[in-house]
Amino acid sequence: MMSTPIIAQAKIYVSIEQAQKILFQNQSLTKAPIIITDELQEKMRLASSIRYPFRGDRIWKTSDGSWLIIDEVIGKHEMITYAVALNSNGSILGIEILEYVESYGYEVAEVDWRKQFVGKTAKDPIKLNQDIQNIGGATLSCKHITDGVKRVTSLYDLSLKTIR
Amino acid sequence: MRRCQALLGTFVEISTDQDDSQAINEAFSAIKQVQDLMSFHDPSSELNVINQTVHLEPVAIHSWTAEVLKIAQEIYEQSNGLFNCGIGHRLVAAGLLPCHMDLSIYQMSGIEDIRFIDPQIIISSKPLCLDLGGIAKGFAVDKAVESLISRGIESACVNAGGDLRVFGPIPMSIQIRNPSRHTQLIDIGSLQNGAIATSSLYFSKRDQLQSHIINPLARDESEVHLHFSDSYSVVAKECVYADALTKVLALSQATDHPCLNYFSAQAIRITT
Repeated sequence: MMSTPIIAQAKIYVSIEQAQKILFQNQSLTKAPIIITDELQEKMRLASSIRYPFRGDRIWKTSDGSWLIIDEVIGKHEMITYAVALNSNGSILGIEILEYVESYGYEVAEVDWRKQFVGKTAKDPIKLNQDIQNIGGATLSCKHITDGVKRVTSLYDLSLKTIR
Repeated sequence: MRRCQALLGTFVEISTDQDDSQAINEAFSAIKQVQDLMSFHDPSSELNVINQTVHLEPVAIHSWTAEVLKIAQEIYEQSNGLFNCGIGHRLVAAGLLPCHMDLSIYQMSGIEDIRFIDPQIIISSKPLCLDLGGIAKGFAVDKAVESLISRGIESACVNAGGDLRVFGPIPMSIQIRNPSRHTQLIDIGSLQNGAIATSSLYFSKRDQLQSHIINPLARDESEVHLHFSDSYSVVAKECVYADALTKVLALSQATDHPCLNYFSAQAIRITT
């Protein structure tokens, strides 16, 4: 062994506020939560093959009718929080990953990944590339994100597009 | 600021201390453009146009595609055929890539039959099924780095799902996954103005997929998919070379392969 191994952990990329800026620059967004009925939940499940429920409380709208939706994909090996920006006609403006937790529900239970952030204060900003790792290795597949985005676009077709 | 988008079938991270969202957006756009040109999955990509028509008529291609094909041919030659992008049909047959054309009627040729009749026009005497999956990710990382530099970013890391390049005055510490237990990381030291790419099969094994490392020199079916449990990394100045040369390293298992030396690259093998 070349050195002490570290548990591959979670990464926080951007906050919801930062994602809003990245995807909509300075446009103002209004929170527009919707109630996901059982019927809608079931239709979204069929459209995307994602089983766990969608949360309708992380939806925002711009004055020109665009949407920002935060969702998660929870796979056997990971949990990914991501933001999807949709145009008023439902086309995708952009997708940004907010948080990536590897080996979700397995390693996380063993070692709290947030430990690497413990002791950091506002004066001691998390220095990228020093405290958090640049991880090389075999290619990690992002195919779960594709299913997640399908679920979000199905939400638009089934519900958002009828909301004015 | 550290950002991540799902591109090239993987998670692409761009991290820099400079808070310039626009520069990062443009770097992601460069990667997206490589994806649009060279994706095997996207039926309308330039790569799929090449695969479907290059043996029938000359095909005009984007300068970036031309650049990748030139480098792929150079590595093909220097590796005596160990690196060959003309293995798309093998990956389709294994269910690792989607099928966009009838592959059964042809005897597929390789990258060596691509001929440039102009810097951006190619033709092939034989049908072929190119997959740039073993080189385009590294190329995309390089294009993102070039884009960041042109926008005045002084130091950053671009990591496309494990193939990464760093630039700037500060060396950056790099960890690679332990092939015996991929959730563990091994600190391999720091890298300054360089790239590292890795080939290994732990995710393929975890997801019960056939090996995606294809031996282009296979004499029969049993030799087509390479099986190994170690991890092979290559350090090079540019990520396109690091990415492609991991295939030469994994196939030859020779950390002193002359091809690595030719491209001023170095090998790291982590055994299980």
